[in-house]
Amino acid sequence: MTEELHTTDPVGKSVPRMDAIEKVSGAAIFADDMQFGPGLYHGRLVRSPHAHALVKSVDPGPALEMPGVRAVVTGRDICARIGLYLIDRPIFASDRVRYVGDPVAGVIATSEETAAEAAQLVHIEYEELPAVFDPVEAARQDAPLLHPDLAEYQVANFIFPEPGTNVSEHFKLRKGDIETAWPQCAAIVEGTFRLPQIQHVTIEPHVAVALWEQSGEVTLWTSSQSPFAQRDLIAQSLSISHGNLRVVSPYVGGGFGGKAGVSMEVYAVAMARAVKGHAIKLRMTREEEFVGTTVRQSLVAHTKIGCDAEGNLLAMETEYYFGGGAYNDYGVNIARAAGYSCTGPYDIPNVKGDSYCVYTNQPIGSAMRGFGMPEIHWGIEQIMDQLADKIAMDPTEFRRRNCVRTGDTILTGMNMPAIDLVACIDKVTQAIHWDERRGQARPRPSAPHKKRGQGIAIMWKAPAMPPNPGSSAVVRFNEDATVNVEIGAQELGQGAFTVAAQVAAQALGVPYEWVRVSAPVDTRYSPYEWQTVASRITWSMGNAVKAAAEDARGQILGIVAAHWGEDPDELDIKDGRVISYQSEREQPLKNMVVYGLPNEDFEGWKGGPIVGRGKFMPTYVTNLDPKTGQGTRAVVHYTVGAQAVDLEVDTETGEVEILKIASAYDVGKAINPDLIMTQIEGGAVHGMSSAFEALRFDDKGRPINANLVDYRIATSVDVPQEIHGDFVETPLEDGPWGARGVGEHVMVQTAPAIANAIHDALGIRFNDLPLSAEKIFMALE
Amino acid sequence: MATHSITVTVNGSQEHLNVPSNMTLLQMLREKLALTGTKNGCEAGECGACTVLVDGDPVNSCMMLAVEADGCEVTTVEGLAHYHEGEVRLSPLQQAFVEHNAVQCGFCTPGMLISAHALLQRNAHPTEEEIREALVGNLCRCTGYLRIVRAVQEAAADT
Amino acid sequence: MFARPGLPSFDYVRAATPDEAIDLLEKHGEAARLLMGGTDLFVRMREGDIRPHIVVDVKHLPGMRTVTYNEREGLTVGAAVTMNQVASHPDVQARYPLLAQAAASVASYQLRNRATVGGNLCNASPCANTAPAALVLSGRMVLYAADGEREVPASEFFLGPGETKMRAIEMMTAIRFPVPPPGAVGRYLQLGRNKSGDLSIVGVAILGFPDGRASSSRPATDSGYGFRIGLASVAPVPLEALEAEDVLAHNPPGEETFALAAAKAMEAATPIDDVRGSSAYRKAMVRNLTLRGLRHVWKQLRNT
Repeated sequence: MTEELHTTDPVGKSVPRMDAIEKVSGAAIFADDMQFGPGLYHGRLVRSPHAHALVKSVDPGPALEMPGVRAVVTGRDICARIGLYLIDRPIFASDRVRYVGDPVAGVIATSEETAAEAAQLVHIEYEELPAVFDPVEAARQDAPLLHPDLAEYQVANFIFPEPGTNVSEHFKLRKGDIETAWPQCAAIVEGTFRLPQIQHVTIEPHVAVALWEQSGEVTLWTSSQSPFAQRDLIAQSLSISHGNLRVVSPYVGGGFGGKAGVSMEVYAVAMARAVKGHAIKLRMTREEEFVGTTVRQSLVAHTKIGCDAEGNLLAMETEYYFGGGAYNDYGVNIARAAGYSCTGPYDIPNVKGDSYCVYTNQPIGSAMRGFGMPEIHWGIEQIMDQLADKIAMDPTEFRRRNCVRTGDTILTGMNMPAIDLVACIDKVTQAIHWDERRGQARPRPSAPHKKRGQGIAIMWKAPAMPPNPGSSAVVRFNEDATVNVEIGAQELGQGAFTVAAQVAAQALGVPYEWVRVSAPVDTRYSPYEWQTVASRITWSMGNAVKAAAEDARGQILGIVAAHWGEDPDELDIKDGRVISYQSEREQPLKNMVVYGLPNEDFEGWKGGPIVGRGKFMPTYVTNLDPKTGQGTRAVVHYTVGAQAVDLEVDTETGEVEILKIASAYDVGKAINPDLIMTQIEGGAVHGMSSAFEALRFDDKGRPINANLVDYRIATSVDVPQEIHGDFVETPLEDGPWGARGVGEHVMVQTAPAIANAIHDALGIRFNDLPLSAEKIFMALE
Repeated sequence: MATHSITVTVNGSQEHLNVPSNMTLLQMLREKLALTGTKNGCEAGECGACTVLVDGDPVNSCMMLAVEADGCEVTTVEGLAHYHEGEVRLSPLQQAFVEHNAVQCGFCTPGMLISAHALLQRNAHPTEEEIREALVGNLCRCTGYLRIVRAVQEAAADT
Repeated sequence: MFARPGLPSFDYVRAATPDEAIDLLEKHGEAARLLMGGTDLFVRMREGDIRPHIVVDVKHLPGMRTVTYNEREGLTVGAAVTMNQVASHPDVQARYPLLAQAAASVASYQLRNRATVGGNLCNASPCANTAPAALVLSGRMVLYAADGEREVPASEFFLGPGETKMRAIEMMTAIRFPVPPPGAVGRYLQLGRNKSGDLSIVGVAILGFPDGRASSSRPATDSGYGFRIGLASVAPVPLEALEAEDVLAHNPPGEETFALAAAKAMEAATPIDDVRGSSAYRKAMVRNLTLRGLRHVWKQLRNT
């Protein structure tokens, strides 16, 4: 860097990311980069080739005979289950396997190559069982039962499984009176919308290194969004005291929810117990990433909506069948969140919603960017377009009329906190010149064989969390008045560390460049953070850091005020100096933040090392009635937004070219405006890509495209020419300077926006994902 | 399995190594030389996270054996910056990535930089289309690529 | 079931001469594999498809990495020449632009620095990018075995998916292309799931040239123009759409003829349903891409 940057009052400014230099120079350490020396062992998982089968026998003998193999661990060695809201997953399947890829054993050897060879020698006998892959089929009474012991599983008190079936969660939403509402509707539309499983495809695969000391202390180094949650789950399932389990996580090379819970990490810890004193590394290959970690759930949604003659929505009835996969990580909570969000960002007085999470013999369905919102908005935003069309109303006008507004009573009975979705709609429609479409001014395609169309979609999402997720933070000073901020939140690329530093600097009154974030996050040293998920970090961690910084600031002002004999209320900290508005004296922070200040003539001292502490935990979320989904406060807040898409379809091949995506979100307060833009851009491309992605399986549940050759994600040449990002700032009541999150929201409605634009171009509606050139072409023929 | 005595110049330093036949250049860099800037994303030549320069050409180091690199000059991301009198000078390309916020999680970044660097070496003023084509073998899930393209454009304009 | 991490163990050997490479193949049989770019070999070794004990590197043998051209004999491309080398070679760009386009369409720039033309052809995937160009440019595979060198024309080389006329103990040393017809222009079109970088769902190579005079291999055309059409990913082997070429030889060039030819090309295609596309879609794309390609080539022919 040629100039020394010095940024005071950084909140609201696009300061440079604090991790960028490390990352461009190749110095940034990720979990697989950590060095453990020549004594490191390596693990490989032995995975089921069957979608559903009884495990008759597991014989590790042939593997153990291979030189270099140190141990083989099976389900019988562990006898424990793990889960987040529903504890249903055995650590190593012992009596039954439930998806192709279900781990049955773990081989530990002196090299990864040896472990891989030996893994092929573990002899397992299976008895195949009938399998079920479709969630609607799996929900039927006569479907093959994946979890006969469902009644015995420990479950969180807000999740309602139905033992004797494959239903692991059923959320009910009943508002108003749907039966009297239908006859009042002037127009009704109904549809079924389907989407397959897709995968996060973080460029960094999962990796975990575990060390179980003879003393009983256990350390897990891993790429994790949630070190504390992973510690909690693994400690409980393997009966380790929280105090004896330490989770360390450096930079995460992409999370998107795939590294939020426990997928493969628990196996590393379980395997480490068999080779105490030796660290063992378990690394997922890219192929394993696709089906052996977690995926986004599949969904079959049946929805019916109706409006009056003026276009006011009156009623919605909807049923969601989520393909939860073989076990639940976050799956049940996704079905729940979908249930209490099922109207989408609309004011609908009469709602009947049933949201089911259903076990299927598929990879574990879990959290992926949007947490149920992309899945449900796929259908919602298309059916809204269909209803608008039926009453010959412009889709943007329909949305302006019906979208949720501040103070509305939403489907759970909660009052909608302050947001401005109409402003977001206005911004995106302007950006693609929507209003100029009428009559002759409709945008023309670039060639005679192409068709052009525009589409719009809106969204909402609340952080889907238990009612009491806490953040905490510590702010410490070094002698030169540089600051260390300690947090448990993780840097996934979203800019969490940068935001933490901006918040601390602003609240303290020091330049942004003086602040460092203590990393890696380490449960032994870092203060507690529930999880880096749900787009909650800027808000929740931000509040905690602000509180810690203000605590430190208060201590400093108290000491200097006493030192000067002044009133602390007349003092402030600006640009790293305490100043008095009263006397105009100044005291630099340097040294005093550690050593304190001497009294006159050195007759004693005041102060000492400054340590600020802060926490934030929402205290106002209430229960929801299990029969109606009604409650005073279902969620903490919502972020809303709109996206518009302008695209062309090549009618000779079916290929779609996205010309422009325009996005606008109500972020409350843009702590770092450019970082919000980067989320908008990345999200638009991720959303666009997700519309064309699908995990594919044969009729025996075996993955067909579990590799990057045949699971294609958007590349640099697929990106739209233009992505136009914007934001609106309606302050969040309890957000730091009004800020709320946006990291997931930016991709929630891209797929239906594209579908709506394709319908605009071709007059063809696609109810099922994935889209593809082939599907579009064949529909045209 | 056979092992081979090879000499590879990595980031300007000559290295004498013994490598087994089946060790990839990627493994050699990460495991023998602890140059962990180059990443393992797929081991199939698809994601580009392992891209390095071999005799000036960008290649997927997971698709090349270490023994094939005998006698070659290899440049990794650690070799892009200049170290001058205790100061780190990022290359104009690295600098542009920082300034344009073309980095988020950072895992694809080393490979992107190498591919982009190689592009600018062979084509000092690429069009936007040429930049995108040159980077098609470097997958990114975070940024949406636009900032990366802009950073490369800026670095091209500076030279 | 899942691809393994890293490569399985094997011995790497650098053959000092072509004969040594042949001897090693003879000695080890199925347990030996030749190594050129490795972009296919390493992937398949990870997947467990093949498990050689010996991998014989032949890239550096004389001629394997060279491209030569002269006005009499045409183009000789060493089997281990990389896609980027072919695509950027001035003589290839000038005389065989179709080949340059095909080579440039493979995967990514990084992979094109390792993937070789010879490897692409020897692996004989039905979707091999350079195969249609090899067909329509009348390429001849130069093969070397214990009994010396022989040539197999591209039209006879491909026998089935992954199967060629090469014998077990034989290696490809070069591909020879005759001097193209004067005034020849070409276009390679490929449809993938991404705009570029993907394997082909359908690949179409079209060569067009003025052809008022007969040659030793074919009579003069009525239309005054000759066209050759090569297709990839739509049959067990890359194939030449001969009936389509016939239509173009005997009918005046223009939309109507091109549409007819495209329909014939579609008939020649016998694609399967696979993870990349369905048979029905592929057939339609053969038609549409052939039509596009013919229009493009025709435009170039008229301009020169």
